[in-house]
Amino acid sequence: MKIKSVAVTIIQFVIVLFLVTFGITLLVRLLPGDPVSTLMPFATEETRLQLSKELGLDANIFQYYFRWLGDFVTGDLGTYYASTGNGGGVAVTEMLAVAFPRTLLLMIYVIAFSLLVSIPVGILLAYRAGTRLDNVISNTMFTISAIPAFALGLGLAFIFGVKLNWVPVLGYEPISQGIGKHIKSMILPTLSLSIGYVAIFSRLLRVDTIATLREDFVTMASSKGLSNSWILWRHVFRPSSSGILTIAGLNMAGLIGGSVFIETVFALNGFGNLLAVSIATRQYLAIQSLVAIVAIAFLVFNLLTDLLYAVVDPRVASHRGA
Amino acid sequence: MEHKNRPPLGLILSGAWGAICLFSAIFGNFLPGPKWDDYDYENFSSPMFTDGHFLGTDTDGQDILAGLIHGARTSLGVSLLSITISLAIGGALGILAAYRRGWIDRVLSMLFNVMLSVPNIVLVLVFVAIFSSPDISDPSAGLPKWIVLVASFTLIVIPFLGRVARSSTLSWTGREFVLVAESIGMTRRSILLTHIVPNVVPSLISIYCLGAGLLIVVEGGLSVLGLGFDSGGSWGSMLAKNRNELAFSPHTTLIPATVIALTVMSLNYLADYLRLRIDGRESRI
Repeated sequence: MKIKSVAVTIIQFVIVLFLVTFGITLLVRLLPGDPVSTLMPFATEETRLQLSKELGLDANIFQYYFRWLGDFVTGDLGTYYASTGNGGGVAVTEMLAVAFPRTLLLMIYVIAFSLLVSIPVGILLAYRAGTRLDNVISNTMFTISAIPAFALGLGLAFIFGVKLNWVPVLGYEPISQGIGKHIKSMILPTLSLSIGYVAIFSRLLRVDTIATLREDFVTMASSKGLSNSWILWRHVFRPSSSGILTIAGLNMAGLIGGSVFIETVFALNGFGNLLAVSIATRQYLAIQSLVAIVAIAFLVFNLLTDLLYAVVDPRVASHRGA
Repeated sequence: MEHKNRPPLGLILSGAWGAICLFSAIFGNFLPGPKWDDYDYENFSSPMFTDGHFLGTDTDGQDILAGLIHGARTSLGVSLLSITISLAIGGALGILAAYRRGWIDRVLSMLFNVMLSVPNIVLVLVFVAIFSSPDISDPSAGLPKWIVLVASFTLIVIPFLGRVARSSTLSWTGREFVLVAESIGMTRRSILLTHIVPNVVPSLISIYCLGAGLLIVVEGGLSVLGLGFDSGGSWGSMLAKNRNELAFSPHTTLIPATVIALTVMSLNYLADYLRLRIDGRESRI
């Protein structure tokens, strides 16, 4: 990649980030109702004034935005106000320290599991493209992938949690409670979120691999008498994997916040839950900071995927350089 | 592999399921049997195939089958209405951006990119919060739920359709027949209407089906979070309301979950089928 295109990418990144965070500021300001009496219905006049100052309601939207931005970059994500009390609250960073690792782990498990299953399946299907095996597996996966994750989660919870009683149906167990317990608490959420991705990833890899198999260097390799599995893994897999990597990267970012339904079904109390509850209870500062985190994560993953792309498939870099 | 003149089995099944759902959505009110909001106080959590309740009842004595029939109207209605409005607005904006280029294109593309850089579930939560009742202690005040959902869904889907419409339009504006139309002095408006729009719309139809399925899922998810319809008023709401009874009367949750899954499957299949048909058509040109 050339320096110029890197610079352009970074400038675009900053502009989009600014627009997203400012846009969310506008949206948060549009939330109906009086923020102060929503957050602290029983507060005294004094605390009301103080809260209204903390929320930046005394300032115009630009002052408010830049005040929030200043706090955000210095690590102050705002306060999460307890609705019953008449003052005080918990720092959003503190709540995030509990919720975020859970979602992050879930995200890693989902992507790892999906790739682990879909890479061999995708390559196998491409190698056997057009056969009965390909048809049956492709169609089955396509059908299963349509099941919404939360519906699948409920079904799995019923079979493995209620009927077979192998795993708990609700709740999160940290790794410190024992790795076995941790895995048991995460296996159903991971499975429910993964099945859709397995279908998407292997379908994509199948198509890309079929395209690569038609390339001259594959014919060349097989005419040299190399074994099929050597050709598939050493010559075909790498150039075919850029599509699946892009999609995996983008989906990984989408899972922060996007896993909210599954987190709720399995009562994991992760990042998605925190965000949903913040929005439902009108935690103005928390909403802004959390959505900003989601957007940053999304854009960073986007950028990284783009860079990784060129590393994995050298043809991309040379095409773009041209 | 497939016989030329026979439609594939998947298409027949999806079509049949779609027809059943549409029939329930439109004529559900005129069907005999219990209504979805009748509470049968003598039959709580009755199993399937018991007297008078074909699919049983939930913990409040609401008939499951009646709930599904009513849910077809709300779930499908909200999703189809939103995606149709989005198709009109997003499609128009995308075509406009691609055909006009210049600052309109830059502004709209930037707007789409910004909206797409927040996961759509997060965005829909924000919009639902904005459109819902100003008083969070009284959620029933303010706009009716279906308007809140349709407005939020429409807003999150517009950038998707806009982006697809834009790139599709770009691929058509360079074609010879458009250049010919320009060179013989046709006005931009008539080129747009006679040459561009009829070619762009088919490429949006498959996204339309996918989007309709996605919105049914989102509606279900919002119900799980307690932000969708109340008291079993939609498929998602039935599932969400009964999911705590999973151990005791699993059918009350698993049946609506299956219905949602079947509907999304049908819509995805339809989208895939249409995409293949349209791709084939375009490659022949």
